[in-house]
Amino acid sequence: MPQTIVEKILARTAGRDEVRAGENLPCRPDYMIAYDFPGYTDVMFRQMHDDFGITKLAEPERYLVFIDHMLTRGDQREQDVHRVTREWCEFYGIRLHEADGIGHQVMVERGYAAPGNFLIHFDGHISGAGAFNALGWGVRRDLLEGWVKGELFLDIPATTRFELVGEFQPGVDSRDLVHEIIARLGADGCAHQVMEFGGPGARAMKIDHRQALCGMAMFTGAVSAIFEPDDTILERAGQVTEGELAPVWPDPDATYAAVHTIDLSQLRPRVVTPGSARAANTKLADELTGTAVTKAFIGSCASGRIEDIRAAASVLDGRTVAPGVTLNVVPTSKAVHDQAEREGLLDVLRAAGAQIAQSSCDFCFGYQKPLQPEDVCISTGVLNISGRMGSTDAGIYMGSAFTVAASAVSGHINTAAEVTRE
Amino acid sequence: MTGYPPPPDLIEGRVAWVFGDDFDVDLVIGVENIKTYDADELRAVTMKAYDESFVDRVRPGDVIVGGRNFGYGHPHYPPMVALRNLGIAAVLAESFSPGFWRGETYNGMPLLTVPGISQTVRLGDPVTVDWRTATVHIQRADGTQTLTGQAPSDRVQRIISAGGSFNLMLAEHAQEESR
Repeated sequence: MPQTIVEKILARTAGRDEVRAGENLPCRPDYMIAYDFPGYTDVMFRQMHDDFGITKLAEPERYLVFIDHMLTRGDQREQDVHRVTREWCEFYGIRLHEADGIGHQVMVERGYAAPGNFLIHFDGHISGAGAFNALGWGVRRDLLEGWVKGELFLDIPATTRFELVGEFQPGVDSRDLVHEIIARLGADGCAHQVMEFGGPGARAMKIDHRQALCGMAMFTGAVSAIFEPDDTILERAGQVTEGELAPVWPDPDATYAAVHTIDLSQLRPRVVTPGSARAANTKLADELTGTAVTKAFIGSCASGRIEDIRAAASVLDGRTVAPGVTLNVVPTSKAVHDQAEREGLLDVLRAAGAQIAQSSCDFCFGYQKPLQPEDVCISTGVLNISGRMGSTDAGIYMGSAFTVAASAVSGHINTAAEVTRE
Repeated sequence: MTGYPPPPDLIEGRVAWVFGDDFDVDLVIGVENIKTYDADELRAVTMKAYDESFVDRVRPGDVIVGGRNFGYGHPHYPPMVALRNLGIAAVLAESFSPGFWRGETYNGMPLLTVPGISQTVRLGDPVTVDWRTATVHIQRADGTQTLTGQAPSDRVQRIISAGGSFNLMLAEHAQEESR
């Protein structure tokens, strides 16, 4: 029977020749990942040890923990949280990556998100692994099932196929694409499914933009998203993966829940209004031009990679952040930070008045420099629910790095095309 | 919290509230309160934005009804803990947002996908719910109407019967140990 990419990956992890969407089967992920956070990892480790009596892991190499939250205050609580994580990881022999950047990026840099791999995490933005033809699935507390048993029951998801053609216009990127998809199909347009991307537009898309697109999959209702293998993926994955790559292509006559063709050259910048990413909140940026902002943020597991920093620098070069606006830029990882420094991009941003912060998750969830009640922020973060970045009275708009940088220069929501034309 | 107590085979109660599409469950208690698990604190804020009398009129066995994509957003656990504390025994909706569905299924809350439900029921309607078959009988003065949704998978039925995934795993683990 012909199969989709996801059916093939999950069939392998279920020890089967093939699986069908709708089946419920135990699957064995290649990596089972967490970031340390109070109430999550500390509880899970205690449950594994105290409730299930596990004192030794059969395959510790399949477990990964990242320290990427709570890194920027340096207080006692922070130190206690991380100390507990270090102790458990040492006890179980689990690899721990500490303060190298946001885990969803570091997993790529370290080769865990290799083509064909299956990764689970309690956090849904693990779906960004799909940019590398790996399946990342956020399973919330079911991560414990994986950690305890080495496998977990999953409903094999159906797939919606997106044939991408054309290329983004200047000042437009995949953040605009994901919100275009939500605007067209609704916030449940791909509910309980996986989004599969292919076609000439997919092959032309930069890998950073693919990561942002896949990392935001949950807002279409999808459980994950994945790209077809291509030369870009194989080359990038080849640089960081030991051993043979095992890319997974879909069969030509695989069964899809739906197939959509999207011409990337027709897309325009989009901005999401505060509250959630649902379709009704997804506007063309032009409709919101003039909305005043006080804070601008470029970073997160979805955006904040080298292409986002290049985008910001292209807008900010020779310009300055508007009076009354603070622009915070957080490169997604240390490696991204160092590359941006080498390319001179951070100098451009600093000269424009941007503040560059240590790579972490802390801005995006309101831990570092939280928004004040009167703030209006435009952000490349992953969430704009009330209270996400600080005060529940502050408003959070979301857009691409182009649009956030342009808005920071203008002091109100604006597009890169408008700012660079002036 | 390791899970909710398992429901009876037949859940008997009333429709305590009907929500619209893409409903963000954090709004049940308000986004200011999504970090607390304290029962009294939760009771004091539950559904206040919708109905002041909600916490006083809900009885164990009552259910809430949702539209499409119930649980959209970035769902936290306390709102459903607050509803479960009051006795809400199931959520019936046109469809569920996957993240919410997975998180609450783990906790053992019956989440039943029942197409047509949000347009059929009215606030206060008495309902009987066979959660294993997703069959909902709505009792009205002019007769009983029955809707049938998608039955939960065998695995999910076992999770709900065990009082959540954690308790099921513990029971399975104990069985393996004793072998």
